[in-house]
Amino acid sequence: MRPGRARSVVLALGLALALLPAGLPIGATAAEAAEGQATWAVHITLAPTWFDPAETPGIITPFMVLYALHDALVKPMPGKPMAPCLAESWTASKDGLVYEFVLRKNVRFHNGEVMTAEDVKFSFERYRGASASLLKSKVARVEVVDPLRVRFVLKQAWPDFLAFYATPATGAAWIVPKKYVEQVGEEGFKKAPVGAGPYKFVAFKPGVELTLEAHEGYWRKPPAVKTLVFRTIPDESTRLAALTRGEVDLAYSITGPLAEEVKRTPGLQLVPTYFLFTTWLVFPDQWDPKSPWHDRRVRLAANLAIDRAGINQAVYLGLSKLSHSFIPQGMEYYWSPPPYAYDPKRARALLAEAGYPNGFESGDLSGDTIYGVAIGEPVANYLQQVGIRLRLRPMERAAFFKEYGEKKLRGVIFSGSGAPGNAPTRLEQYAVTGGRYTYGTYPDVDGLYGEQANEMNPRVRQQILHKMQQLIHEKVMFGPVIEPAFLNGVGPRLEVHGLGLIANHAYSAPYEDLRLKRP
Amino acid sequence: MKRYILKRVGYALISLVLLSVTIFLFVRVTGDPAVLLVEPGASQADIDAIRTQFGLDRPLWVQYGHFAVSLLRGDLGHSFYYRMPVLELYLSRLPNSLLLAAAAMAFSLVIGIPTGIIAAVRVNRWWDSAGKVFALLGLSLPSFWVGLLLILFFSVYLGWLPSSGSGSAAHVVMPAFALGWYFAAAHMRLTRSSMLDVLGSEYVKLARLKGLPEALVIGKHAFKNALIPVLTLAGINLVIMVNVAVVVETVFAWPGVGRLLAEGIAFRDFPVVQATVILGGFMIVIVNLLVDVLYAVIDPRIRLER
Repeated sequence: MRPGRARSVVLALGLALALLPAGLPIGATAAEAAEGQATWAVHITLAPTWFDPAETPGIITPFMVLYALHDALVKPMPGKPMAPCLAESWTASKDGLVYEFVLRKNVRFHNGEVMTAEDVKFSFERYRGASASLLKSKVARVEVVDPLRVRFVLKQAWPDFLAFYATPATGAAWIVPKKYVEQVGEEGFKKAPVGAGPYKFVAFKPGVELTLEAHEGYWRKPPAVKTLVFRTIPDESTRLAALTRGEVDLAYSITGPLAEEVKRTPGLQLVPTYFLFTTWLVFPDQWDPKSPWHDRRVRLAANLAIDRAGINQAVYLGLSKLSHSFIPQGMEYYWSPPPYAYDPKRARALLAEAGYPNGFESGDLSGDTIYGVAIGEPVANYLQQVGIRLRLRPMERAAFFKEYGEKKLRGVIFSGSGAPGNAPTRLEQYAVTGGRYTYGTYPDVDGLYGEQANEMNPRVRQQILHKMQQLIHEKVMFGPVIEPAFLNGVGPRLEVHGLGLIANHAYSAPYEDLRLKRP
Repeated sequence: MKRYILKRVGYALISLVLLSVTIFLFVRVTGDPAVLLVEPGASQADIDAIRTQFGLDRPLWVQYGHFAVSLLRGDLGHSFYYRMPVLELYLSRLPNSLLLAAAAMAFSLVIGIPTGIIAAVRVNRWWDSAGKVFALLGLSLPSFWVGLLLILFFSVYLGWLPSSGSGSAAHVVMPAFALGWYFAAAHMRLTRSSMLDVLGSEYVKLARLKGLPEALVIGKHAFKNALIPVLTLAGINLVIMVNVAVVVETVFAWPGVGRLLAEGIAFRDFPVVQATVILGGFMIVIVNLLVDVLYAVIDPRIRLER
């Protein structure tokens, strides 16, 4: 080989090696990355149903995408749990039967169509996601008063209308363009969604990535970052590697030792977020007079035996919130009970008082394989230390919730829920007769629940709901543990990452507020 | 011959029908997908609505009938999770799986066959021992661990290769190595034992007695015959690589069929699991059928015996 040619080959190889670290896709240029692209490493597989608010399944995850592609009449925003967005304002009639929304003028969807009251009515009627049947059973009709005014007429007063319509409890207030949906059909809409959010749909590779581009005409403000990419990286270690290398700017869900690694790595930040998720112990045998759990002192002993701060430090680097109620602290109508101290000595004394000086065998501690193990295992160890002997029984998530819902579990249950809503919706599922996961309750708790359901005065309703929670605390119905933090890694390029800006929202938002650092 | 082929095709069809019944029942044994599509604490009405939407509230035999009729029409159903036709989803992932499988297979053959030959020729010497260690590690190290080590070394420390994803030649290097090592070890071991068998045969001894150069004896007389079982195994392995590279695809976020299957299992996406298993089974059945027919063509005793 001639020296000149050899030099060319070496140069070409050098160039190839120089490009390899960047992992640039074929055809991409470095300039594209420099123009303002932010890439999110997502822990879960993105689904096209998340592009359509009508399909919102009652979990918080789709809102990761909805906040980018779409907009709602009213939605949680920084500092406001119900902020006016596509609706400038709204009013409720005194009898609680009519809610009227005044729409923002000249809001345009990504395809240029102007949003009107017809779109709002259409979006509500088309909605078929979580709690759709409940919402529709309460709403008698939706009236288009004029192009910028829409009226919801309820069949009877329902104090939770906004809690369901204007929060992530449902996706019914997220507006889609009627004409476009009718034109492309349901399947077509999922393939090429058009919304009124800060980012426009560009491309979606199922299971791989979603690419969005800034909607310059977004009513609130034009987004600062031009391109947003959500890339699915299911393995946690790989997400961290991608973040460390700068392939992504933010990596969701980094836990345990890897979270410590984020803290140690210069240039990376570990940012916790919180959503309405909490974990607690259920004592299903407390209504069985033969069971040790029937004795309030035993249930109190269990609560005093758990070192919540220790678990938080060990599992979540101290970033979770300690929990003293089975209702999350961020929920509307939450009542803050006095915290349970970690007092194993008193726990043992209480057990002795109750007739169990040597403790007792309590069967299984059943939980799912994620939180039921991560938090359930230390809980079981703490209970064991005071003499409550439990066998950890981790179950596959769906199987666990099936048996839990069918009331088949005994011993102690490690429960958790991130279902959106408010305190009454959480109470209804777990503490009131007929609730899907209610193993038993007390007549006074049941009575108060019925009382609050029709109370339209928010202050009176709050008093009733606080009383209910107080009773539950006094009876030691549950053993609250912690509200787990959602830990995320943030790379050095992001100036505003959007995590934690909106209360009780796990993901970055609002996306129009994101900002990259200037080079 | 025609009768033999028809019989084989019949067996292949029976296998596919049995596979469809088995996978249809097995995925349903795993539980209710509706529970996974809502937040814990969701109302029973929401769970029931999802069941109705996916037809899971109908009797099992009605569900199977619908599934079988659709399958005959070439309709593999709609994904519960992705809400799109499963065939479309599968075909969108297949090219990535084929690319990864081809790269991993190339690696496994390029490494496995020569080391197997050398190990057989230099039996019980240093090369053979080194080959055994290579094979032992390849067969015993979990691919997720190998994958993570590769990411740590080549992506994080050296910064040479992208940590995950697809789209460029650089992306395929580490997943192909992580996937291919196991198969390289298998191919190496089979090549070695097959070569040892052939090298001990009469015609190889004769070739040596005739004074043929050792390279010709090994390369022409021994290797060609020893290669047949290796290539048969490689054919089956290629189908396995395409369809069940679940761990490697997950670690490297490689968007292939294996990850689709893993997602299907995780979300109890029955149509996705059914389709990937049936299409994977279909590939294996076709490869087996072709091998059976080819054997019969090569060796008439086989078709006469059966």
